[in-house]
Amino acid sequence: MTDPTLDKLPGGFKGMSSDIGSDQTTFKGVNWGKAMMWIFLLSDTFVFSCFLVAYMKVRASVTEPWPYPSEVFGLEVFGVPVPLLLIAIMTFVLITSSGTMALAVKYGYEKNRKMCGLFVLLTAIGGLTFVGMQAFEWSKLIFHDGVRPWGNPFGAEQFGAFFFMITGFHGTHVSIGVIFLFIFARKVFRGDFDTGKRGYFTTMKSDYVAIEILGLYWHFVDLVWVFIFAFFYLW
Amino acid sequence: MSDDLNIKKSSKIKTKSSSVSGGGTDIDYVRPAELPEQDLYHGHSFITKWIFCQDAKVIGIQYTLTAVFTGVVGLILSWMMRMQLGFPELFPFLTAESYYQFVTMHGMIMVVYLLTALFLGGFGNYLIPLMVGARDMVFPYVNMLSYWMFFVAVVVLMASFFVPGGPTGSGWTLYPPQAILEGTPGSEYGILLMLISLSLFVIGFTMGGLNYVITILQARTRGMTLMRMPLTIWGIFTATVLALLAFPALLVSSIMMTLDKVLGTSFFMPTIIKAGELLSYDGGSPILFQHLFWFFGHPEVYIVALPAFGIVSDLISVHSRKNIFGYRMMVWAIVIIGALSFFVWAHHMYVSGMTPWFGFFFATTTLIIAVPTALKVYNWILTLWRGNIRLNTVMLFCLGFILTFVNGGITGIFLGNVVVDVPLSDTYFVIAHFHMVMGIAPLMVIFGAIYHWFPLITGRFLDEKLGKWHFWTTFLGAYSIYFPMHYLGFIGVPRRYFEMYDSPYVTSAVGMNEFISIAAFIVGAAQFIFFFNVVKSLRLGKRAEKNPWKANSLEWLTPSMPPEHGNFGEKLPVVHRWAYDYNVPGAKKDYITQTTPPSEVLGAEVEKT
Amino acid sequence: MWTGLVFLGVIIGSIAFHFWTPWWWTDIASNWSKMDDTIILSFWIGGGVFILVALFMVYCIFRYKYKEGRKVEYKPEDKKLEFHLTWLTTLGVVALLAPGLLVWNDYIKVPDNAQHVEVMAWQWGWKYRLPGEDGKLGTSSNKIISDANPFGINLDDPNGKDDIIIESEELHLAKDRPVKILLRSIDVLHNYYVPQFRAKMDAVPGIVSFYWFEPNKNGEYEVLCAEYCGVGHYAMRGSVIVEDEEDYKKWLAEHETFSSFIAKQKSNPINNKQLAKINNLLNDK
Repeated sequence: MTDPTLDKLPGGFKGMSSDIGSDQTTFKGVNWGKAMMWIFLLSDTFVFSCFLVAYMKVRASVTEPWPYPSEVFGLEVFGVPVPLLLIAIMTFVLITSSGTMALAVKYGYEKNRKMCGLFVLLTAIGGLTFVGMQAFEWSKLIFHDGVRPWGNPFGAEQFGAFFFMITGFHGTHVSIGVIFLFIFARKVFRGDFDTGKRGYFTTMKSDYVAIEILGLYWHFVDLVWVFIFAFFYLW
Repeated sequence: MSDDLNIKKSSKIKTKSSSVSGGGTDIDYVRPAELPEQDLYHGHSFITKWIFCQDAKVIGIQYTLTAVFTGVVGLILSWMMRMQLGFPELFPFLTAESYYQFVTMHGMIMVVYLLTALFLGGFGNYLIPLMVGARDMVFPYVNMLSYWMFFVAVVVLMASFFVPGGPTGSGWTLYPPQAILEGTPGSEYGILLMLISLSLFVIGFTMGGLNYVITILQARTRGMTLMRMPLTIWGIFTATVLALLAFPALLVSSIMMTLDKVLGTSFFMPTIIKAGELLSYDGGSPILFQHLFWFFGHPEVYIVALPAFGIVSDLISVHSRKNIFGYRMMVWAIVIIGALSFFVWAHHMYVSGMTPWFGFFFATTTLIIAVPTALKVYNWILTLWRGNIRLNTVMLFCLGFILTFVNGGITGIFLGNVVVDVPLSDTYFVIAHFHMVMGIAPLMVIFGAIYHWFPLITGRFLDEKLGKWHFWTTFLGAYSIYFPMHYLGFIGVPRRYFEMYDSPYVTSAVGMNEFISIAAFIVGAAQFIFFFNVVKSLRLGKRAEKNPWKANSLEWLTPSMPPEHGNFGEKLPVVHRWAYDYNVPGAKKDYITQTTPPSEVLGAEVEKT
Repeated sequence: MWTGLVFLGVIIGSIAFHFWTPWWWTDIASNWSKMDDTIILSFWIGGGVFILVALFMVYCIFRYKYKEGRKVEYKPEDKKLEFHLTWLTTLGVVALLAPGLLVWNDYIKVPDNAQHVEVMAWQWGWKYRLPGEDGKLGTSSNKIISDANPFGINLDDPNGKDDIIIESEELHLAKDRPVKILLRSIDVLHNYYVPQFRAKMDAVPGIVSFYWFEPNKNGEYEVLCAEYCGVGHYAMRGSVIVEDEEDYKKWLAEHETFSSFIAKQKSNPINNKQLAKINNLLNDK
């Protein structure tokens, strides 16, 4: 929102207090949808925090030995066991998709329809790859190693329970993101954001800011992955 | 122009000279609009207008009706419970199983599906856009989804009455391991439906809650600063933020318990021997669930209490024709109570077997909360002081609220003080305390608010005479239920007892139990006076003129009453002052609405708050 | 007019009820009279605040009832008044909290000479285990509980051999001797609560929780479960009998130790199998 009246506002800490004390909006020039996404992500942070804190609490108090992650998550490549190989690739793919998302947002700002759509699509493909690799990892753990939510051959049964629950919950987030990325890629290519076409369900005008909002979500999902990665694979 | 805002808040400004002509000159005082006009979808058919409606006001009424429906179910359940406790064995169908199912459903319905939904979904939706001067919620479509998600949650919850085994009977706290083990009623399907319903509720609420927060933060009208918002909005806002941060813990614990039940994981399930058999569970932590549950559960108390605090402040101010005393302190108290409520959850777990050292920390934080809460009480009564008190039904409910809330708040200090909690926890003292403080007190506010805003919603007043009958039976009845009940707790009567048998120290309380039960039947029945009043007044009530209470806040200043979709007609209102300018010295009328520009109240000393 | 009078009646009624109530706590039979004192203190301070606030409210109703044209004060804030109210409230809160925390400190510090009593809770009943002459309870695990080993006592732990097993809902305690209650549960949450002793704590499956008290009055007391534990919760009773030291010793001597309990099973060939099974289980661990 380019509002000339906003340019005159003070910056820094003084600006913060003047914004909070002012009328109409508290976050000056912030789109409603964007503000909403930020608050939603704050709420979602609490969801993941609860999951991870529960995991830490149970892992710390359980009496059975906890499985050793670099063995459980290792892959054999040409007969050589490589710890955390798959997970390293997954993390790399997901972080890269954050980069392509950032580019999509940039081209969105520039109203560059083709490049923006391309990078949204690339991000979607990155996310899809991640989900695919996760499916592969799950099936390896389930069918090859015999890890189940209610027990596993390596040690404490909560290992499988927390692993499937938390990565599953995160994977659901990624999948939802991927679905929206594909939908938005289509919308961008179709030019909805240039013409301000009204949404089918919401009847609200489309705008490139939607790409930025989706970007916020996508970066958040990546950030959460970093924590899950650290707590499950490195601890 | 924007320099106007930089004038220090406390400095008084004299109104400008008469050279400024009234009307349309507000541009001189208020910054120009930052936001373009909101794009609204106006429904055309019956379905888009009244069912899948995107108008926050209709959604608010939908929320209210659904919540009240669940509340009536909860009320009937409470009658059943009191029937058993006061006159055991009178009804053979009241078995221990059904008693515990009634207890559980009553608790969960009243706390989550009635109070939370009514305050935030009902009052929040109706009042937020009107009071901050917005045309609607920022995302009407998501807001509509929020209601329908809530509706589905209620359907799932009610469905649990009809599944094999009936609804869950694990107590509203749903403590594992018993919640999902045989030996507790409804441990097969009832508990699953409960957990699913709660998850749906959380998802639905999140959609609505984001709307409330962003509408308040980003969609206020010109001149409406945060510190000019009515306290109702402050209460609902803070409660919604709490809900957005506390419900995640409920969602997570619901998911984990569902997995424990369905997949046989052991998050909350330790080694268990049932009927001599070792179950397959191993190594989980039941106390972890309690931590998660109360990390949600305690803020939940304030999710119910804070909107009540806010609303009652406005009602008291309007009906005692006086500004709310210590507005800024009231705002800060709401915010501080909200923030502190995340650091007190384990005071529900003093005797849960957690590390006893936690007792010191949580007792201290709990009692610190008492300070801002007490200040709010002082400010309410100081608002009455030297006011001009209209003793109508609305005010009566406010006064009833003050008495029950102070009473329940003080017993809360008993229970928060860790060592006093040891003998009293899990007794009827606890029941009496929380019914007084988060049952009766918020209900008083809800009724007061309905009597207050009914003319706005329908254009007609509720009947005063019936209202007074309703108030006195409800207040005196509820007080005589819960005040003596504390003393059952002193005797040591534990809660959640289907029957007392002949314990030597309990037989003496039989008379009191009968008395409480009779009072409960009367209070419950008195609510039907209210329903009758609503139905009657909808058709035959006295017509209300515009702004019938002579209030200042924006919801009364809409061009049509009841307000239409879009709320404010052609032009959004512009706000020049806080909502509490009653009886300003030098002003001609005893109230100055928020939209009155300084040029129109010549000679009045106006505090720029 | 009568509005104020009814509210006044409610206040006076509450006070009168408090002072003349026939329902009051049971006579205390343990050392925790300090808990009662803290409650009394809370009553004085809290009750005082309640009365003051309520009376002030009633005064306002009488004094400032609506009258057309009444002069109303316009005073949004009064910093001085608000400040005084804040520190006064804080003072009241400190006066309640400080003694409370001191008593809590006593509650969680168990005296060294306390008699250990293990309370084993199950749906729906109680049983007990007392240490034998060595004064120590043997280690235990819920995993190895069976008919032959109802407390899951570790068979390799010599401390457990002389533990005294009481498979009854009735517990005897010696008067004037501190007792540390160690709570275990084999299934769901329970809470071992005797109103006359004031103290309570949940029994949580998977962990051992504790509390202590010192019974100081002879008599028989009823035990209640104070944590909802399923449909039989209300019927989960037991009893505690506090008696003099000699009577207590006599009662103790009537009960068998864990080793004699096992010996009895050994003479019974059917149970040998079960015992073997337990031993196998233990060896697995």
